[in-house]
Amino acid sequence: MRGKNLDTLNDYSKDKKILRFDFLLFFLVIAISSFGLLIIYSATRETMPGGVSDPAYYLKRQAIYLMVGVFLCIAIQFINYRAIKRYWWLFFAAGIFLLLSVLIFGFEVNGCKSWIDLKFTTLQPSEFSKIFMVISIAAIMSKWRSEKVCQVTFKKVAISLVIALSFMAFVLLEPDYGTALIYFCVYIGMLFLSGANFLYILLILGAAVGGVIFALNSGLIKQYQLDRILVFLKPDAQPTEGSGYSLYQSKLAIGSGGLTGKGLFLGKQTNLNYVPEHHTDFIFSVIGEELGFLGAIIIIIILGVIVWRCFYIASNSSDNFAMLLSSGVGLIILTQMTINIGMTIGIMPIIGIPLPFLSSGGSSLISIMIGIGLVENVSVWREVRKEHEIAYQDLK
Amino acid sequence: MGSNIKIRFRILLYLLLIILIVIALRLYFLQVMSGNLYAELATQNITREKTVPASRGDIYDRNGKLLVKSVPVKAVAVQPYVVIDNEEVMGILSDRLDIPYSQLKEKLKKANVSYIERVIIKQNIDKAEMTYIEENSSKLPGVEVIDIYLRQYNYGVLASHILGHIGEIDETRLKSEEYKNNYEGGDLIGWGGVEEVYESILRGRKGKVIYEVDPLGRPVSVLDKTEPLKGSDLYLTIDIDLQRAVEEILYQSILEVRQKKISNTNEYYNVPGGAVVVLSADNGQILAMASYPTYSQELFTGGISKKDMDYLEDPENQYPQINRAVSPYPPGSIIKIVPAYAGLAEGLITESSRINCAGIWLGLGKDYPKKCWQSYGHGSLNLVGAIKNSCDIYFYNVGLALYNKNNNIDELLQKYLRIFGFGSLTGSGLPEEYSGRVPDKEWKEDYFKEQEGYNIWFPGDTVNMAIGQGDLLVTPLQMAQAFSIIANRGIKYTPHLCKEIIDSEGTVLTDESVVSFEDLNLNENFIGTIEKGLLEVLAPGGTGYSAFSDFPLSSISVAAKTGTAEFFGKQDYGWFASYAPAGNPEYVVVAMLEEGGSGGSNVGPLVKNIYKYLFDIK
Repeated sequence: MRGKNLDTLNDYSKDKKILRFDFLLFFLVIAISSFGLLIIYSATRETMPGGVSDPAYYLKRQAIYLMVGVFLCIAIQFINYRAIKRYWWLFFAAGIFLLLSVLIFGFEVNGCKSWIDLKFTTLQPSEFSKIFMVISIAAIMSKWRSEKVCQVTFKKVAISLVIALSFMAFVLLEPDYGTALIYFCVYIGMLFLSGANFLYILLILGAAVGGVIFALNSGLIKQYQLDRILVFLKPDAQPTEGSGYSLYQSKLAIGSGGLTGKGLFLGKQTNLNYVPEHHTDFIFSVIGEELGFLGAIIIIIILGVIVWRCFYIASNSSDNFAMLLSSGVGLIILTQMTINIGMTIGIMPIIGIPLPFLSSGGSSLISIMIGIGLVENVSVWREVRKEHEIAYQDLK
Repeated sequence: MGSNIKIRFRILLYLLLIILIVIALRLYFLQVMSGNLYAELATQNITREKTVPASRGDIYDRNGKLLVKSVPVKAVAVQPYVVIDNEEVMGILSDRLDIPYSQLKEKLKKANVSYIERVIIKQNIDKAEMTYIEENSSKLPGVEVIDIYLRQYNYGVLASHILGHIGEIDETRLKSEEYKNNYEGGDLIGWGGVEEVYESILRGRKGKVIYEVDPLGRPVSVLDKTEPLKGSDLYLTIDIDLQRAVEEILYQSILEVRQKKISNTNEYYNVPGGAVVVLSADNGQILAMASYPTYSQELFTGGISKKDMDYLEDPENQYPQINRAVSPYPPGSIIKIVPAYAGLAEGLITESSRINCAGIWLGLGKDYPKKCWQSYGHGSLNLVGAIKNSCDIYFYNVGLALYNKNNNIDELLQKYLRIFGFGSLTGSGLPEEYSGRVPDKEWKEDYFKEQEGYNIWFPGDTVNMAIGQGDLLVTPLQMAQAFSIIANRGIKYTPHLCKEIIDSEGTVLTDESVVSFEDLNLNENFIGTIEKGLLEVLAPGGTGYSAFSDFPLSSISVAAKTGTAEFFGKQDYGWFASYAPAGNPEYVVVAMLEEGGSGGSNVGPLVKNIYKYLFDIK
């Protein structure tokens, strides 16, 4: 499915990998992340969450994370993604190790043991493991060395399921249902794109629904937890506390932004601390309040283009691993932005997950920058074939 | 890459597009379509409005002496619906503010049931209490420290009935038309006396602060502020020095009368209470008004305690809050000035017409003999003599004649009683004032409608009423007004307490009632005749002679009438009504002692002592 323009481009860019680096994607990512710095500054300069004394504390911190992220994103380009495929099990092991260590050494925030204190900074392993799961699933579902051409067998689906489940199990133990849900969606998306039989996908979806019902009935998930998650279905619920309060305040913030917003730094709902977690999970409320409908639309269009670009690069990649790797990253961004933005505007359950590129937090930003690095890697290390090779392959 | 995968990518891209569109539509709904609504909700969410109480106007006497002053203090106010179910906050409040838990709960429950948004649970808190509540505001949602103004009484209990006190607005008032627009729960308003009469003038205008709060309700910034406006100052017609003298004289007299035995018995006079009214004769200004027993308004400062309230409401203590000067009593003989005028005006008697008093009167028939108080009779009397001796039989005749004229269709006695101001409020405005009662056919029919045979107006009813007995009830203030009508030859002034109102900027706003009077167009000759009789009351042989025997009547002529009203089941009520100097009246003085016996001998000396003070006679 290679486009004509790319074929002609290949002739000239045979050895100029830099030209195959997707500058549109990179530019959009840098733009939206930098914009994120501004919004984080706006959200934290007055309220200074966590009792910090420097109004620019979160701005500075996020800027450092962004620099680290950009550095890693570029550094990854010097490794061929095929090497990553070969040593996929290393990433699998690293992901599981991270999730295991958080269960042992982690500390609790809001009832979830999902953070590790590294003294100089804190780390949220489930953010990084997301990328590692994408690598592992992509490796399993692509061409095995024993195969001539890539086939989607029952065996592959089964192994991928075991891998995905092992990641999810650790996340559920924290327990961080929101992140587990993201893992699940990303896995289903990748399975779908790998060409797996719909039957398998339906079976897995059915089992998941069954599992949730079982968890509810057996009391693994308490009713109040479910109520909290599903509060968005009851828009008239008492907005005095808990997630109903967050949702109400978020809707007030976004709604009161109107068409053009109250202006950067002028959002009262957020600056006076009415919207909880406004610099992390509810950062979109700040955008909606301060920049209005127009600003919010621009942000979701940019996010949409970034996702589309990941899928575009995936569909133009050389092999199934590259395709799944790139689309896996796209799926992470897509599911997180859907659930996160949907949550702040009251059409999705209240689940504490960050908005990619925009929410304050190092693990989220750095891991998604690594993800973007992998997508760029797929683009940069794309196999460039000569016209005759293509003709030869077609002949076969 | 197979075409299958291509389709799957396309499906995913459509999904992306749908998601973006759904989000965009939802944002359009929230921000563009409902933007104004949410903007309004957000403003409500963040801004709070608080009223700042205004300092209440001060109250002065007629000579500019400061009687009642406003002092700012701190108080604790709570929102009942927030606090009532919060055991922890209730506990802290009860503990820290030293209020019994049950009492606090009761108060909040009552306020909560009636949807009152704010009540004061403790006034005049000390520094430690204030600091504690302010520092722990995050632990105490719905609790705040507010500024209020309390009253300071420079003359103690003096004139407490006139002044009234201030207290927290109650539910009934809060919901009433008069109060509901300008008041909120926890406001302090005037209760009784001039505090209540002039509430709208004294209260001033509350200020308002609109400010932003954080989610814990702590103020962050002030958006708008209106300063409160101090209430206007009130200058009373009262002379506080005279008031003190009158209250002391009343108290001393009561003590003296209590030492006396009722003649021919071993029983002492009870005298549980009494009242005195001193009017300025030519304009209706109330110069002094005393009621015994009295109470201290300071009991109400900072909220009255249960113990004090029980004291005030215990029948044993004769209800000291009642202002007896405006409460209804049977008048006895002092009412005779009215049938006297009515008889003259209706042509039923003349100044010279005489009636023989033999001590017994059979005007209503042999089966209904009526007696004069003087059992051996007064002999032949004209009107002047009848007033001087307070002859009952003379007035029985007048009463019967009034009844018989035109078969009592016009109810003439009642008509004249009403002309003299009885049966209606004097216009002083005092909330405690009673209108008394002028009974007539209609009233009797209604009042005794259960008792067949009793509900008809008999001639005897008019006859009894002519000597101030029966169902007639008058207040000392009404009586003072009636005597001022005689003193002023038919001009009826409205008794009043407000001399001047000066607002916070110094502008004088004079009260309307200052010049309020009515010319009753009475016959001056008839009034002259009555005055002759009233002057004779204190002359040798008159009913008040003994009391005024040491008073220089030759230089200051006093027109007076005594009264001794019978009260079923109680001792006689003594009255003494007067004005002086006759011909050029300056003062009207009326005194009444509950169960005080004879008006002449027991109440007369009291009035004499007041005149001595007024005319500076040693």
